[in-house]
Amino acid sequence: MSVSPFENGPRAQAAHLLNRIGFGPRPGDIGRVLAQGFDRFVESQVYPDADADVRSRLSGLQTLDYSTARVLELFNADNRTIGPIIDEFNSAKLIRAVHGTNQLQEVLVDFWFNHFNVNLNDGFVRYSLTSYERDAIRPFVLGKFRDLLSATAHHAAMMYYLDNYLSTGPRVVGGVTRLGLNENYGRELMELHTVGVDAGYTQQDVTEAARVLTGWGIDNTGRSGQFMFRLANHDRGAKSVFGLGIPAGGGQEEGDRLVDYLADHPATAQFISKRLVQRFVSDDPPAGLVGRCAATFQGTGGDIARVMLTIFGSREFWDPSVFGAKTKTPLEFVLSALRAVDAQVSRASSVTPVLTAMGMPLYQCIPPTGYTNVGVEWLNPSSHLARVNFAFDIAGGATLAGITTAPRSAAEGADFTSATSVATAVADELFGNRMSFESYEAASRVAAGGSVSMLTRALGLMLASPEFQAR
Amino acid sequence: MTWDISRRVFMRGAGLAALGVGFHPSSLLVRAAEAAGAGDEVLVSLFLRGGADGLNMVAPYGDPQYYSLRQTIGLGRPGQAGGLLRLDDTFGLHPSLAPLKPLFDEGRMGVLHAVGNYNLGRSHFDAQDFMETGTPGVKGTTSGWLDRGLADIPGRDITQGVAFSAQVPRSYIGGEPVLVAQSLTSFDFRARNWRDEAERLLHAMYDGNPSPVGKTGRETMAAVNVLLRTPEVNAAPANGAVYPNAFVGTSLRQAAGLIKARLGTRTIFVNVTGGFDTHANQIVANQNDYTNLGQALAAFDRDLGPLMDKVVVMVNTEFGRTAAENGSVGTDHGSGFAMLYLGGRVRGGRVHGRWPGLAKAQLYQERDLAVTTDFRDAFTEAAVRHLGVTDAAALFPGYAPESFPGVIA
Repeated sequence: MSVSPFENGPRAQAAHLLNRIGFGPRPGDIGRVLAQGFDRFVESQVYPDADADVRSRLSGLQTLDYSTARVLELFNADNRTIGPIIDEFNSAKLIRAVHGTNQLQEVLVDFWFNHFNVNLNDGFVRYSLTSYERDAIRPFVLGKFRDLLSATAHHAAMMYYLDNYLSTGPRVVGGVTRLGLNENYGRELMELHTVGVDAGYTQQDVTEAARVLTGWGIDNTGRSGQFMFRLANHDRGAKSVFGLGIPAGGGQEEGDRLVDYLADHPATAQFISKRLVQRFVSDDPPAGLVGRCAATFQGTGGDIARVMLTIFGSREFWDPSVFGAKTKTPLEFVLSALRAVDAQVSRASSVTPVLTAMGMPLYQCIPPTGYTNVGVEWLNPSSHLARVNFAFDIAGGATLAGITTAPRSAAEGADFTSATSVATAVADELFGNRMSFESYEAASRVAAGGSVSMLTRALGLMLASPEFQAR
Repeated sequence: MTWDISRRVFMRGAGLAALGVGFHPSSLLVRAAEAAGAGDEVLVSLFLRGGADGLNMVAPYGDPQYYSLRQTIGLGRPGQAGGLLRLDDTFGLHPSLAPLKPLFDEGRMGVLHAVGNYNLGRSHFDAQDFMETGTPGVKGTTSGWLDRGLADIPGRDITQGVAFSAQVPRSYIGGEPVLVAQSLTSFDFRARNWRDEAERLLHAMYDGNPSPVGKTGRETMAAVNVLLRTPEVNAAPANGAVYPNAFVGTSLRQAAGLIKARLGTRTIFVNVTGGFDTHANQIVANQNDYTNLGQALAAFDRDLGPLMDKVVVMVNTEFGRTAAENGSVGTDHGSGFAMLYLGGRVRGGRVHGRWPGLAKAQLYQERDLAVTTDFRDAFTEAAVRHLGVTDAAALFPGYAPESFPGVIA
């Protein structure tokens, strides 16, 4: 086996693919992907079948199917019920990401949730979060962008998080005309969800978009928590939003027209493509690939699966200079580490504090910009220290509630009394042999003897290595 | 390869032999001592994320339009129960910032109002980016203003610039080493019974690695070493100071610890997230956030005691909010905002700046408090008069302040 930073053979390519299309290889994954062939593997990820294993693992988590009304009913009867519901929601994410065969689907659920971010800690969002991800995000992640956009625009969680449920047209109260407009969602719909801040829209367009969306709200936040349009709150005047003219006298359909208009806008194809390429290829997205993705997006009516095929078939994706070049976010690091030790996950509660310590509390991103997809922005000394310590913990088989690990599987076939043997096996199994001489050599220099096993120390160092912090 | 005091030299000489690391933690402490003697003023910069409303933080109750613009969220006049705390005939302090009122009266806390910049825009992300990189309206600037400030003052070790934040703030992006942490307690490797071997082999992995991960790893290890040898960073607060149990409180407590430990820290950044983006239900959100902010700042002042003569605290945000309230008992994104200052060199007991007024014709685009002081003038004043930065022109490329607002003596 040769170990060098320039090893770009089939195993390194497979590792790269597994690191980008999903959350990193489990022991044995590189071999399986090579046996299947890259094309068939990518196809199976972009057009996934149902995953019976994951379904079985989730079957005990009954609250995953609860409607917002059901969650509110339970909460109203007993405040303490919301904690376990959030726990199950977090656990489902972890179980799917660690165990799911349909890795791309889980990466995209994460990506699109982040794109259409809502914050778990924001009042009513807490009770509608289970429904939001299940009903407005997950079904659409590999489908048409317009469907995804529309679903989030029609979900009570988004109406609440971006204050749109409070936004009304001008109303006369006690003889005085009160302005009721709240422009938060109107702004972010364009800036963050569709065309992007550089598309050329003005403050006037933001205000007009907000006027279009007046009346889009929630029936009530205490019992049913469903999206509802109220004509009485709608500003029925004529509007003009970023080139879309809307005559006076309309109702809910104005907002639907705006959503469609923005979904179809060329700037949206560009903005979404750039973010996807940034997530899957490089912090600094190559313009040529972004352009080709935007063309695919526009030519297919916003078909996300087709855009993914464009990405995974591109020379930019397979250029060795991008292998291992993207820093993992804290979530990506934790998930890849758990997969690396063949973790069996049933609950997330021991992992969520780790993510918080690394600066990425799960589902708790405060601003609507969501967590950044630029990997290097996650690097800082305390977050890095938390990663090193997590690596040491799980390599040592630390007791994590709801999680069991099998560190030995990361070094399948190795002589566990030899650090060199362990390092060699791990480099092959998890890195596709693409690793610097320095890191490999350091792990193989773990001394014999001592109270801490060779496997714990050598594997711990490999998971704490610079190479494992990136993908 | 040795750990060079100048990171810029280190980065340039990046083609290195991988083995034979010579890491000498004691050399860091020597440099820290040198740095402390070479100027030990500290600038503590608090960034309130989300666009904090300056018009209720320091409310112009004496301006004829204030109460008509804010019929529901306008704060009560000084003297009313739960009302503003009188600063002068025009301005009152938000009641939840009450712990700062005595400091104002004693001349140790001051305000700069109607500060900002129109080219920041009203997008959170852009406004923060433009403000922190210091180039309003210009994208793609690759360093932050605090990084450029640090580059100009003596001191090169890992604790020279510190940020209490989940991520590296844009203000610090650049070549200067910065210790970014959410908390400095328990800052060590968790390798029971093999800690020294772990540290040695981690060094072997990270010391020669030219990637951004490599750079961060080296900073981590430098920080671990310095903090292990300086336990007083986490000592109990002095003078009976009690910090609130919120991130701004724990961060300022540790900031005070760093300053008291005299490690050569020159700039400290605290990333204050919360409910400042008050599109709706502003009253309650402000109460919560300002209670924590006021208590934390007052505790910091008490904790440091006479050391506050060496410290300036500057509190800012990315933009203010609309002068009029919106339909949701809140306010939308605006322009001019208010900055709070604490410290020995601050000309406290005053509201500085030029008040533009709130009449419709005086508002920016008939909606926002206008800007009458460019934020770059305020930041440059702090850097030059307090930190001792001499190359002011480098702080904000393409901009030279014509005058300083006069908040710092």
